[in-house]
Parts: sequence; C-alpha cells; structure tokens
Amino acid sequence: MSGMDDAPTTVTLRVNRFTPRPERDRGSRGGSPFAKKGGSPFGGGASRNRRPRGKQWTQDYTLSVRPQDTVLDCLLTIKRTIDPTLAFRYSCGHGMCGSDAVSINGTPTLLCTATVAQWARHPNPLSPTDDEGFRHTGDGADNKGDPEASDMQTDGLGLIELAPLPGFPVQRDLISDIDPMLDQIRKLKPYLQADGVLATTSEGKADVFEYLQNPQQLAKYEMLTNCIACGVCEGSCPVFAGGDAFIGPAALIAASRFVNDSRDTATAARLDAIDTQDGVAACQSVRACSRQCPRGIDVGEEMWQIVAKVKER
Amino acid sequence: MSPKHIEDMYDAVIVGAGAAGLSAALGTLRSVEIRGLLDAGIEPKILVISKLQPLRSHTGSAEGGIAASLGNVEADDWHWHYYDTVKGGDWLVDQDAARLLAQYAPQTVINLERDGVAFSRTDDGHIAQRRFGGHTRDFGGEPVRRAAYAADRVGHQILHTLWQQCVAAGVEFAEEWYVTDLALDADRSRVAGVVAYDTHTGDVHAIHARNVLLATGGAGRLFHTTSNSWDLTGDGMALALAAGLQLEDIEFVQFHPTGLAHTGILLSEAARAEGGVLRNADGEAFMATYAPEHRDLAARDVVSRSIMTEVDAGRGVADPKDPNGPKDCVWLDMTGIDKDHMEAVLPQVVETIRKYASIDPATDWVPIKPTAHYTMGGIPIDTEGRVYRWSRDESGNTGRNVVEGLFAAGECSCVSVHGANRLGGNSLLDACLFGNRAGLSMAARIAEHPTADPAGDEIGQADDEAYTALDAAATARKDEVTALLSRDDGADGEIADDNPYQVLADLGRVMERAVAVRCSADTIATALDTLQDEFRPRTNALHAHSDMAAFNQEITAIWESRHLVALAEAVLKASDARHESRGSLTRLDYPARDDERFLAHSMSDRDGILWQPVHIVDYPPKARAY
Repeated sequence: MSGMDDAPTTVTLRVNRFTPRPERDRGSRGGSPFAKKGGSPFGGGASRNRRPRGKQWTQDYTLSVRPQDTVLDCLLTIKRTIDPTLAFRYSCGHGMCGSDAVSINGTPTLLCTATVAQWARHPNPLSPTDDEGFRHTGDGADNKGDPEASDMQTDGLGLIELAPLPGFPVQRDLISDIDPMLDQIRKLKPYLQADGVLATTSEGKADVFEYLQNPQQLAKYEMLTNCIACGVCEGSCPVFAGGDAFIGPAALIAASRFVNDSRDTATAARLDAIDTQDGVAACQSVRACSRQCPRGIDVGEEMWQIVAKVKER
Repeated sequence: MSPKHIEDMYDAVIVGAGAAGLSAALGTLRSVEIRGLLDAGIEPKILVISKLQPLRSHTGSAEGGIAASLGNVEADDWHWHYYDTVKGGDWLVDQDAARLLAQYAPQTVINLERDGVAFSRTDDGHIAQRRFGGHTRDFGGEPVRRAAYAADRVGHQILHTLWQQCVAAGVEFAEEWYVTDLALDADRSRVAGVVAYDTHTGDVHAIHARNVLLATGGAGRLFHTTSNSWDLTGDGMALALAAGLQLEDIEFVQFHPTGLAHTGILLSEAARAEGGVLRNADGEAFMATYAPEHRDLAARDVVSRSIMTEVDAGRGVADPKDPNGPKDCVWLDMTGIDKDHMEAVLPQVVETIRKYASIDPATDWVPIKPTAHYTMGGIPIDTEGRVYRWSRDESGNTGRNVVEGLFAAGECSCVSVHGANRLGGNSLLDACLFGNRAGLSMAARIAEHPTADPAGDEIGQADDEAYTALDAAATARKDEVTALLSRDDGADGEIADDNPYQVLADLGRVMERAVAVRCSADTIATALDTLQDEFRPRTNALHAHSDMAAFNQEITAIWESRHLVALAEAVLKASDARHESRGSLTRLDYPARDDERFLAHSMSDRDGILWQPVHIVDYPPKARAY
C-alpha cells in the first residue's frame, strides 16, 4: 500500500542544548545591600525574567528515519539509542496535550505534529546564518558563507534545527518555563461565571437541568475551547516576550472563550480586565499567532474580534 | 507551579491531576464540611501533586463521550445503563458500585456542564448524546443514544473545565513533581504521606499528610502498542504494591481493536460504523467468520481477539512503516466509504491516518493493530473511594480492611464498575463521579480534625512512628538520587550503556508477546522468567547519564521503568492465576468463562493472590452475547 515516499533515509537534528548551572552556584553573591532586588533600571526584577545561566551548546544527531516520522519520533529514538540526557517535554504524542511546543527551524510548533519531510532542509549556501540565527554581512575571519564550509550533511534529507520555544526562559535543552503564560491565563479568571447553583439529586434524577445553549450559541465560542495552552501562538508573537508588556494571545483567547459563551455572566468585567496597556492595546495585529496553531484557531482574527468588542462597549 | 513552601502537615495530598484527581480536589473543596471550616476561619491545607502540568493529563485525549441516561434525545433509564455496565464487564462488576455509577451519571454530567464544559447541543439547547457500543435500551435491546459528547474531544473539554474550576477554587499544585513512595504505618492500616521528587530542582520532599488520594491513571505503557500517553506508567498502582497493598483484577487490560499500526493512536469505532471493513493479508473480510451477525461492529474484545487470531494464524501484515518488522497488523479497508462522506463524518480519523501513516484512506487500506487502551483493574477502593486490603485470617474469615486516610480514584483504582471489560463512555464517568465521591469522603475526615484547628492536635503522638518512617523513606530517596546521578558507581561498560527508555521499549515488546489480547500458561511463564532474569537486573543497574539533577528526565524514567516492571509481574501472575477466559482476558488454554471458580476479583500483592467474591445485587450472571 501507499509507500511512495517512505523509504528510509537520514536526517540531522541540530539541537540547541542548555544545562542550567546548579542552584548553589548561581544565587546572589552577597555583596551590596543597596543592590538588592529591583536593581535593574528596566523594571520588574521578577526572577522569572532573569536570563538563566548555565552551559549552552549545539549538538548534531544524525539518524536513520522515514520522511513521515515525526520530529518527536526522532527525539525519542535519540533518547533511546544515542543520548538519554536530551531533555524535552512530551506526553500524548498526537497533538492533544500541548506539552511539546518548541522552535523548529525558528518556527514555534509541536514536536509530535511536525514531520521530518515537512521540516528537513538542506542549508542554503547563499544565506547562511550562525548558531544564533544571525546572518554575517561583514568579512569576518570566521565567514561561514563559504559553501565549502556548509557541506556537512548534504546527503539524506538534510537538517532540522531545534530550539526551545521563544519568549520563555529555557530550563534545560528544549524545556522552557511556560508558567508565565499560565499565570497570565489564570489572571483573567479563566472559568465559567454563571448564575446557578450546582444540581443535587436523590434517586439519580437530575432535579435541576443543565444551562440551555443552542448550537448557534455554542458555535460562537466552541473553536476557542479547543486551545491546548501549548504556547505556540505566544512564541510566534513578536510583541510577547515573556515579560509583563503583553498579556499574550493565549490569555486573551481564554478570556474571549468566556466572553463569547452565552452562559457566562461576567462579560463586562472580562472586557474591563483586558482593556489595559498590557491587554488588547498591546496587540499589534501582526497575526503571526495564527500561523501554527495546532488546533486551527485563527488566533489573530480572534484577537481582532475581541479588540472590536472592547472598543464597541 | 510549585508550592511556596512545604507544610509540616497537610490535610490532604492528591497525587495526579487528571479528571479523577481534579474532581476529587473540587469534591473536597466544595463539600459542606470544608465550607464549614472556611466559614470558621480554618483553612484546610491541600496539595495536588502531579508529574505533569495538569492540562497535559491524558484525560485530554478522551474523544468519544461520557455516558449518562439523560434521555435528552430519546427515552433512557439509568437501570438500563446499570445493566449494560454489568453485562459489558462480563459480570465481574460489583453491582452496588455500578448501580451508583449509572444512578449518579446524569448528575455528574450536568454538574460538568454547569462548570463550563462546552458539550455539543441538541437544537433545543440540551446536551447532545450519541450511540456508543454496548449501550442499549430495555436491558440489552436496541442501541440507545447515551454518550454525552463535545464533538470528538470531550476529554479535553472536561480536563480544561476541571482545571479552570480548580483555578477558581485556588487549589495549590506541585507540578512536574513525581511521587516515589507511599508511606503507611507499620501494620498498613493508616497513611502517613508521600515522598515527592521535584523534577525542576532534583529535591526530594517528605510530604506529611493525614489523607492521601492516588489518581495517577492507567498503565498502557506496559505494552509496546498503546493509545496511552508516554506518562501512563502505572505509578500509583506500583506505589500501592510497594507499600504492601493489593491490586484488584489487574489482569484485565482492554485493547481497542483499531490502533493505527505501531503508533497505537486510536482510530475511532466510528470508522467501522461508517462502513470500514477489517481484512487480513489475503484481503479476506474475516470478521464475518468470527461474528456473523455484528461483524466488524462486534464488541471491542471480540474484534481484538479475532484480529489476534488472524495474526497468530499467519494472516497478518507488517506495519508499512516497518516493512521488515513483525506481521502483527491487519488492514482496515475504508475505500468503500464515499470520499466526501468520509471527510464529513470522520474528520479526526482521516486526519490521523493522513498525518501519522501518510496514507489516504479513500484509496488505500490502513494498517491497524489492537492497542492497549485501559486498565480495568487497579487499587481496590470501596464506593466512598477508600482504599482497602482484602484479608483472610487463619480461620477463613475474610473482609475488607480500610487503610485509614488513603483514597484512590480513576483508572489507577478499581471500584469494580468495569469488571472484566469496560464499556465505552464509562471511563470519564468513573473518574469524575468516584473522584468526586472520594473527595467528599476525604472532606468528612479532614473536618474531623483539621491540621489548622487551634483547638488542638491530639493525634500528634500516635503519628510519630509512621511519620518517622516517611522521613526515613525520603532520606533513602535522596541518597538514591545522588547515587543515580553519580556515573561511576561501579557499573560496567555494558550496563552503563543501558538506559530506561530502552528498557521500556523492550519491556513493552515482552508484554505484548506474552499477554496482549490473549495468553496462556506458557506465554506467561516465559515472560515472568524474562522479567526475573533480564529486567530486574537491568532496572536495578540503571544510572543517569548526566550528573545534573535539574530537569533530568532520566531519573524519573528510571523509576517509571521499575514501576512498570513491578506492575508487569503483578499482571502476569494474576493472568496466570485466573484459569478462565472472561471479558478482555483470553486464556488460550482455558477458553471458557468459569463462574463456579472465578466469579471473583483477584487481589494481588507481593505475597500472592486472594479471591474476593463479586457483589451480585440485581443481575445474576448470564452469557454475554451481543
């Protein structure tokens, strides 16, 4: 059956790795009591925004694959047969749990839905970038633009570059700290606020029925309930940078989900809560957030809609 | 999210944050007792520990529905649901528990709706319901629409809604913490707490608690091919075994017939309902031979068995992704379904096949294989969620001994509503309903003497010994972590190259050969020998390959592999002891059901197996035919 393009071949995964320095080596250096917290003139001073310190390097793994294997399949093979120390989150393996968002070739997406065929590429000698993703334009001694220098891995399917999800502090290898996103989602009261008391029963009969909601009312927010809080939209957003400047598309999607739910009675308060400098005002309508949503939510359009709702109030 | 500090004593610690764990947390916090405490200014100390961020829990992958006789689209009666559950479980169901399950199902589903679940709706705004295998009207009559659904992602909806309500209730979580030990007092009659490992830092914590609830989910990772997430490694069950407790009916593992070849990803039953046909290597539509009437839509266990019989007879095919691998799949032929209709009614199925097999089901046959789906057995609990030990003294007296303060809920537990084979739509229901009940009974215990009660702490003395044991267990784990992280711990070259991921893969293949869908004394004995000779030594010799503790996933994987090996042994021994075929368990050497000897629950612990009679209340055993 089928089998047209699934002959075994090879691919090289280039992984941006990071190992944090042990806690005891970091810490404060004692020192001046005048420089305690909030020392940075750039505000915040929250430790979560501190750039993590540790050892950073890139590592190449070349393995035998089929084009339709997922990148997660490849990483699991690496863990099993090459390097059990490589760290990355994963759980369900089919795009539902939202735990494995990373950056693949610079694009935020899920490991388990990305296939080798889709992402492997041969380095383009005309526009080489360095490990940091910068393109050298000068004539530095370390010019990597020389086609001779980029001949590694030209056989097989080529190269896939993996890095942790942008916008969040890296914790180890491909694992990043997405708590800032969850904190922002939590801040906007992401739970149904309806008017009723929960049903109780004797004899198994429901004596109070469910809230009624017709299919048209459901359709107004159903798509938004599909969000799996993976963080891909946040990692794609050029405004969201993990700080307090923008509450982020994921939190706004969660807020919008309840604003559009006919059962919810807190619409006014919800719109007030996002009508802030770090709320809808911070969205610049770039719409990069829509591109890779693994649940197919047009995040950018939803942002637009919720901005309109805030303004129309 | 990690707790700001660890309390000296918790009122309750919940391990696991899927549907069962979160339902238990909400059940506790919303109880009359806890609200009373809060009104009196007493704040209960409750912590939910989970090895994943809660939204990553496997509950989120449940697709089809949650069963309840709401009667929203056609007449239904909870007695019919009750009967179907008993029959589906091949009469190995405790009927008092199944009765509660069916009776309180409508309340459970309605409460979920009122918490925010975006159920699909009927035109008049009620929760929509669909048909599901085995759910009938009039005690085994025509199919009935009983499964409340939310498109094909009801588990995702329920998981997110429960988490959202926990956010509203201010539940404290310790996320990405892994529980390594369950601590009981010396005579296993009372709980003292758990030892937990913070994967972010590598720190080990002794968590003292007056109540502990285990809700860690199933153990699909015992098998190579499973629909379960990578995290379902039977941790709670293994913790119970290690603490000297029992597992009930652990030999019963449901295999869903249509996993997508070796990925194990589920292809919904709907694929066959819409006209998909199973074919063997010769292209023969073999289900006509095994179930002339229902053919491809026979019960899950019947279809899975038929597939394995074909494979065993040499009529299987290899997974095209592994053409030189074992011929352990058969074909699902969907080419007879109209292409447009297929896209319209089976979008998820079609997408999964395209994405993960790169096959177009409209033109090509799809390789499928039975996939380990659900563990019916688990930690024995009563209908209030309390964990007990079944005991038998010298004079033959038997009974349930409740472990004071220890609760369990969801797939890791066994209240025995699923018996020998779970009915579709009953797993989410079990997790939410009995999770809530366990939470309520925990609340009643908390209210008796809350830790923050200024009125006194009279149980302090009696506790000392058990809590000292807990602290000792934590110290032992700390030492173990240090040892696992130090690479030169006398391991020789070959063993140093081994790793837990390899062990898990190999174990899955051994279990697959031995007991997937069918087994016999021979296959079991072979696997038990392999466990003893190969896997025990291998898991004992495992070391981490990085000496850095923070986010060192290999450490937890080592413990998971040990958990699975311990659990595998329990599954094999219980399968060996049951000399009959019932529900999901097919003994090739004992093909018939034997109610004379085995209308009983196996109760396995490290010392052996006892048998507990099934609670028969309303429906005496009959032949199970569909």
